[in-house]
Amino acid sequence: MAVDVQAPPDKEVDTPVPPRRRRNLLSRIWRIYLVRRLVYAVFVTWLVMTGTFFMVRAMPGDPVEVLAGRLSQQGINLEQARQQAKQSLAYDPDAPILQQYWEYLTNLLRGDFGMTISQRGTTVVDHVMEYLPWTLFSVGAGMVIAIVVGMGLGMVMAYRRNGWFDHLLSNIASTLSAIPNYLGAMALILIGSAWLGLFDFWSMRGRLSEGVEPGFDAVFFGDALYHAILPIVTYAFTITGGWMLVMKASTTEVLSEDYVTVANARGLKGRRVGLAYVGRNSVLPLVPQVALALGTLVGGAIIVEQILSYPGVGQLFINAITKRDYPVIQAVVLILTVAVVFSNLVVDMLNSWLDPRIRTGDAEEAGA
Amino acid sequence: MSEEPILSVRDLRITYQTGRNSEVVAARDVEFDLYPGQSMALVGESGCGKTTLGLGLLRLLPKLGRIPQGEIVYRRKDGTTADILKMGKEELRRFRWSEAAMVFQGAMNAFNPVQRIGAHFADTLKDHLPEGKRLSKTEIRERSEELLRMVRLEPGRVLPSFPHELSGGMKQRALIALALALNPQVLVLDEPTTALDLLTQCSIVEELHRLRAEFGFTMIFITHDLGLAAELADRVSTMYAGRIIETGTAEDIFYDPRHPYTSGLINAVLPVVGDLPQLASIPGSPPSLATLPAGCAFGPRCEYVQDRCREAVPALEPLTDRPDGLTHATACLRAEDVQHSREVVSRA
Repeated sequence: MAVDVQAPPDKEVDTPVPPRRRRNLLSRIWRIYLVRRLVYAVFVTWLVMTGTFFMVRAMPGDPVEVLAGRLSQQGINLEQARQQAKQSLAYDPDAPILQQYWEYLTNLLRGDFGMTISQRGTTVVDHVMEYLPWTLFSVGAGMVIAIVVGMGLGMVMAYRRNGWFDHLLSNIASTLSAIPNYLGAMALILIGSAWLGLFDFWSMRGRLSEGVEPGFDAVFFGDALYHAILPIVTYAFTITGGWMLVMKASTTEVLSEDYVTVANARGLKGRRVGLAYVGRNSVLPLVPQVALALGTLVGGAIIVEQILSYPGVGQLFINAITKRDYPVIQAVVLILTVAVVFSNLVVDMLNSWLDPRIRTGDAEEAGA
Repeated sequence: MSEEPILSVRDLRITYQTGRNSEVVAARDVEFDLYPGQSMALVGESGCGKTTLGLGLLRLLPKLGRIPQGEIVYRRKDGTTADILKMGKEELRRFRWSEAAMVFQGAMNAFNPVQRIGAHFADTLKDHLPEGKRLSKTEIRERSEELLRMVRLEPGRVLPSFPHELSGGMKQRALIALALALNPQVLVLDEPTTALDLLTQCSIVEELHRLRAEFGFTMIFITHDLGLAAELADRVSTMYAGRIIETGTAEDIFYDPRHPYTSGLINAVLPVVGDLPQLASIPGSPPSLATLPAGCAFGPRCEYVQDRCREAVPALEPLTDRPDGLTHATACLRAEDVQHSREVVSRA
C-alpha cells in the first residue's frame, strides 16, 4: 500500500516538467505588461488597416470610374474616357481584391505604402508627408495650449470653488466644451473676420504666404504661425473647457484627501503642497485622457481644416476620398490609428511611471 | 508643574456652514488650560465635536469650518505667547508642526501616495528651516533615520518605500516619527489607534508612552476608546454635543464621574476582569447639532433629568480645587446625585 501511494506523485513530478517549463516561458513573456500591450496594439492596428482596405473598396465607384466620369463631362465619350483614365492612373480595377490585399499587406510590412493613384509617380509617403507636419503642428499646439491652460484654470477653480471665479469659469467651460470644433471654426471666421474685422481671413488661408520659403528663419516660422493660428485657436478654444472641468473635478477630489490636510498640518509651503501633493495627484488620472483627446482632435481636424482652408491631412483625406485614391486614404487612416493606439500605449507607460502604485503592481507581475 | 499653561483655550466656538445662511455649531464654549507635560484625553461619541476641536486648535478645519469667536493662546518654546486664531498665514505655517504637530486618524491616507516616505521627511524638514539656511541630503537622511529608529522602524526599509508598501501599523509609526521631526511641544493625536488591530494598537500605545517619557511633549488625544484614555491620559474631558461637559483627572473621571453621560459612557465599556455585567447602553441617540434640545443637551436621554435641567444650559461647575487645570468640574445640576455603579445604570 505504502509503495502504491508513493508511486503516483513520483511519476507526476517526473514527466510533465519539460512542457510546463515551456509554457512558463511563454506565459512569463505574456505577463510582461509592455509585451501584452504591444501585441494588442499591433492587433488593433491590423484590424483597422484591414477594415479600411475593404471598406474603401466597397465605396461606390473606383478611381478609374471617378476620373472617367470627370473626363466624360469634358465631352469625351464614356468608353474613351475610361481607357484614358486607366492609362493615366496606376490602378487596375480588374485585379482580384484578395490579391490586392495580399500585395498591400506584404508591401506594408516592408514599409512600402505604395504609389498614389491620382498622381502618377508620387509615393504615398511623399504625398502624405507633404500634408502631415502642418496638421501635427496645428493640432499639437492647440492641444498643448488647451491642456496647460485647462489644467491651470481647473486647479484654480477647485481651490476657489463656489466663489465667483469658479462660477464664471464653470459656465464658460461648459459652454465652450459644448461647441463642436467645426462650429467653432465657422464662428471664428464669421465673428472675428466678417463682423468685427479683427483679422483678414483671406490672407490666412493656406500654409504660407506667397513668396515665403520653408527654412530655419524667423520669417518662415512667423508666417507658418500666422497661417496656423486659426486652426490652433479653434482646437484650443473647443477643448480647453473640457480640460478645465475634468481638472476641477479631479483637484476638488484630491483637496479633500487626508494627505493634503496632513501636508497643511505639517506647515509645508503652499507652493509645495499645490504642486507635489495636490497638483501631481490631480493630474495623474487625467494622463490617459490625453491620448483619447488626441484621437478625437485629429478626427475633428478633417472638417476644421476644410472650413479654414488649411491644407493639412484633413484636406488631403477629403481629396483622396473624392478621387477614390485608395492607398492615400488607407495611409491616412493607418497613420491616425497608429498615432492613437501608440500614444495610448505611451501614455499608459507614462502613467505607470508617474504612479508608483501601478509601478509596483507591474514589477510584481513581471517578476512572478 | 505649576508653570504657565502651554495652551489656553477660551470661549471657543467652531461652526460649519451648511447653506448660504445656515450653519451648525460643532463646538461651543470650549475652555481649558493645558500645562506642559500633561496628557489630556478628549472622549465622547462620534459626532460630538472632538475631532473638530482637535482640527480647530491647529486651524485645520475643512473649507466650510469657521471659528467665529474665542481665543487659543499658545506659549511658544521661546516663552512668547500668541493667539493661534490671530496668526497670519506664514506665521501659522511656521507654527504648525514645529510647535504643535498632529497625528491623524489611522494614518491610512496621511502620506502622499506618489511620494516615498523619505520625501515626506525631507519636505517637512526643508520647509521649516530658518530663512537662508539649507540642509544637506546627508543631514536630512540622518535625521529621518534617527526619527524612524525612535519609533522602532527600520529606516533602510521604510525611507525608500511608498506609502502603499507599508502596513497600517508601520504607517502610523512613520507618521508619529514624522510628527516628532521638529520637536513639537504639543502633539494632537486624533484616534491614533483606530483602524489598527489590537496588538498593533498596544504597541503604538507603548511607543507613545515611551516617547512622551523621553521627550516630555504635551499631548491632546482624541478618542472614543475609554481604555486608551485610561492608559494614556492624566486628565480627561468628556464632550457631548460640542461642549465639554465634564473634566478632571483620569481618576476623577473613571472612578467618580459626576455627569450622567460620562457615567453612561464608562458603563458601556466591557470590563476586562470580573463577571460580564449586562452592558448598559445610553438610551436614545446623540442630538443633531442643528436642533439641540433646550437646556442641557443630554436631558432627553438622562435618567436624572428634572424640569430645571430644561431651563438653561448648565455651566461647568468646579467640584474640587486643584491647580494646573486638574480641577474636577461638571456641567450637571444634579452632580451630587449621580450614582456611579454598573447596577444603577443597567437597571435603567
